[in-house]
Amino acid sequence: MNGHTYEILLALGVLAPFVSFWILVFFGPKMGKPGAGWFGVVMGMGIPLVLAIIVLVGWIGELQSGHAGELTANAYRFHWANLGTVPATIGVKLDSLTVAMFFMVALVAFLIFVFSVGYMSGHSDEVDGQCKYSRFFAYLSLFGFSMLGLVVSSSLFFLFVFWELVGLCSYFLIGFYFDKGFASAAAIKAFITNRVGDFGFLIGLMLVFFQLKTLDLDDAAVRFAEQYAAGTGIFASQFTMFGWSLATIMGVGLFCGAMGKSAQFPLHVWLPDAMAGPTPVSALIHAATMVAAGVYLVARVFRLMTPEALMFVAAIGCLTLTLMALVAIVQTDIKKCLAYSTLSQLGYMIFGMGCGAWIAALFHLITHAFFKAMLFLCSGQVIEGCHHEQEMPRMGGLRKKMPVTCWTFFIGVLAISGAGIAGTKIGLGGFFSKDEILAVAYVRAYEWEEGDYHKHDAGEGHGTGHASTVENDGVTYRLASDPVHGDGHGEERAGGAHGDSHGAASKASIFAHIPKLPKWMFWLAIFTAYVTPFYMMRAWWMTFMGKPRDQHVYEHAHEIPLMYLPLVALAIGTFWASYKLFRPLIDDASHAATDAAMVLATNGASHTEAIGAAHQWLKFGVGGAFIVGFVIAIAIYRKGLARAEAIRKAAGPLHVILVKKYFFDEVYNFVWVKGCILVAKIARLFDTYIIDLFVNLAAAFTARLATFSGIIVDNGGVDGVVNGIANTSIDFGDAVRQPQTGRVRNYMLFATAVATIVIICVLIFGLEAQETVASAGSMVP
Amino acid sequence: MLPDDFLTYLTIGLTHYLVVGAVLFVTGLFTMMTKRNAIGILIGVELVLNSAGVNLVAFDRYMAPGRVDGQIMTLFVIVIAAAEAAIAVGICINLYKNLATVDVDSARKLQG
Repeated sequence: MNGHTYEILLALGVLAPFVSFWILVFFGPKMGKPGAGWFGVVMGMGIPLVLAIIVLVGWIGELQSGHAGELTANAYRFHWANLGTVPATIGVKLDSLTVAMFFMVALVAFLIFVFSVGYMSGHSDEVDGQCKYSRFFAYLSLFGFSMLGLVVSSSLFFLFVFWELVGLCSYFLIGFYFDKGFASAAAIKAFITNRVGDFGFLIGLMLVFFQLKTLDLDDAAVRFAEQYAAGTGIFASQFTMFGWSLATIMGVGLFCGAMGKSAQFPLHVWLPDAMAGPTPVSALIHAATMVAAGVYLVARVFRLMTPEALMFVAAIGCLTLTLMALVAIVQTDIKKCLAYSTLSQLGYMIFGMGCGAWIAALFHLITHAFFKAMLFLCSGQVIEGCHHEQEMPRMGGLRKKMPVTCWTFFIGVLAISGAGIAGTKIGLGGFFSKDEILAVAYVRAYEWEEGDYHKHDAGEGHGTGHASTVENDGVTYRLASDPVHGDGHGEERAGGAHGDSHGAASKASIFAHIPKLPKWMFWLAIFTAYVTPFYMMRAWWMTFMGKPRDQHVYEHAHEIPLMYLPLVALAIGTFWASYKLFRPLIDDASHAATDAAMVLATNGASHTEAIGAAHQWLKFGVGGAFIVGFVIAIAIYRKGLARAEAIRKAAGPLHVILVKKYFFDEVYNFVWVKGCILVAKIARLFDTYIIDLFVNLAAAFTARLATFSGIIVDNGGVDGVVNGIANTSIDFGDAVRQPQTGRVRNYMLFATAVATIVIICVLIFGLEAQETVASAGSMVP
Repeated sequence: MLPDDFLTYLTIGLTHYLVVGAVLFVTGLFTMMTKRNAIGILIGVELVLNSAGVNLVAFDRYMAPGRVDGQIMTLFVIVIAAAEAAIAVGICINLYKNLATVDVDSARKLQG
């Protein structure tokens, strides 16, 4: 395939669910219960999936034949409008990352659509006389459109537009059971929390707009590098806030959007509540795709991040992954437990981004999407089978009733725990991706040569910075596509040369300034690697193993084949999709998508090849973490809940803190909700006594004025003249009408009288006139 | 005691004809003004027309002897009177058809 075929296919893939959305909106209720669902499956996601597979296969061919870079560079940009002098362009960001993400989203979404056809038939009661079943698929289709659009957007502006659209769909779907108070409250909470993050995103977007004077992702990165090298534009500003330069604020602002959407530490509160939505929604939007959009955004704007901004990213990610993993330990609701696990894993991805593990973080995103979607669908199967029971302490022993769900869930548990055999290539998705993040974190924390970062004297004294490739104990750090070594950097600046190589060189100097990662971040990540398998094994064991704790729930438990087929497909995907397919794609994307940026990546070989002693214990230490976690979990929960209860009592206040989720909701409720209400009350007083006073005065004055102008001027003056004329006409008409009696004899009388008068007049005056004429005539000769 | 020219007065002249015409005219006019019956009014009209005929003939005889202009004009008047009478009777019949009466006071529809 050549030309713009890939772009057209991807664009069609984006539009198909949009068409599906409108058709379902207008004709969905007529299609009926399974009909609307199957239409959504085929039109909404089937077509994009087919196109995604075509593009993926073709793209891998292009990669092998080496045309991919050319296609990326020549991608078409439609010039839509000018925002001031800044052009707004629409286009498909055609690179390996987009292709991989597009395929991942389409595949996971397709499977979840299929799952929903079965799941929603029992969960879409008609609450308001309309068919909620078709509405669910309409929303899902709209989400598919938004998410795929987000993935292919070439412009930061359109990325933001789709970003808001996925947020909107999330709102619709969390509040799908809007007749239940908690669901609509959760939807509002999610929406408002995301607004907070999006506010930061907008600040970042405006800085990009005003300082970099472009909205295209690639152009922005090039300008950023140029401005860094020349010390102009955003780097010329002396403005600082919290000790951050303007460039850092831009990066942090853009990251704030990711914090909202990916539910990172201070803004994480909405995601657990979002589980009020239907379970397929939790799987698709709040585990696999939309929440990962934050990570995707960071990956896309990675080139606009300064080292300080990245350090902020890493710190937020590190806090999130640790705190949320601890909360997951004490959750008893199966979906809430998975939600906190999602938060923790998103924290891993963000942390990876902050470390510079661009490849590993995206790799983790994709593997996580598969196994977390699978875990959520399993939980949906369990909830459906147990008649809407979500509390794990009331389950237990379900393996006999739902074997397929049980073992697919177990595969998910293994994957998220990073199960694999250390030192070999045998392992599930999480094994590779999480290890890679940790390995990069280790390098950053221990083996990094810290450089000074001064934005204004860039390039000075760092000429011998890192070369493009440094082999160090078998771990390859790669500064992607760095064509110019540090030595040439100074000359280039002196010569005033501009261009890509220039930008790359300036990036090299940024690269040299990346600070060391604080050691606590690395150790927290390692610690959480042990916690994750524990809570996942706990959840699995409580649900499926042991003895049934609630006989009623146990007896009702059953599986639905339509719903477990997607589970099996995802389980297979968890094995297959991870290392062989996505890892090389993202690796390739890092060349193009982060060209000239500081991408620090351990290459995949570190898992198999001979590695240094330091990494050796890291591999085995973390590689074995899942076994430790599993053993502890099984030890506690093997004999029912008694031991857990004893531990709970022993832990005391610590347990309370975890159950209360560090009192975030309470604090937010007190500070923001109550504070908001207080401000509203004050504002209302001001409104009542100050604003209303003026308004009422103005109203009274206006009323008086209206009375004057209406009754006196209008009625008396204007209407008086008009009415006067009319009345006069009527009176005159009446007077003139009087003789018109209609009696012939009267007319005759008048005629006779007039004739008589005329004759008399003629007799009296006519003779005189005749005489006058006669006398006058006699005077004329 | 009769005046000297008494015989002159006895001789039928123009004035006598004019007096007869005037009497006819006033009678016709009075009839038109007082009669409510449409046929009566028609008769009044005929009287007025005939007075005009008398006058025309009289003036022709005494003012322009030897010429027949007045006589011819009178013939016209008679013909026109006949035509007029036909139309008037037609109107009367239609009046009766519409109002079941020939009382002209009840024909007041044209009054605003």
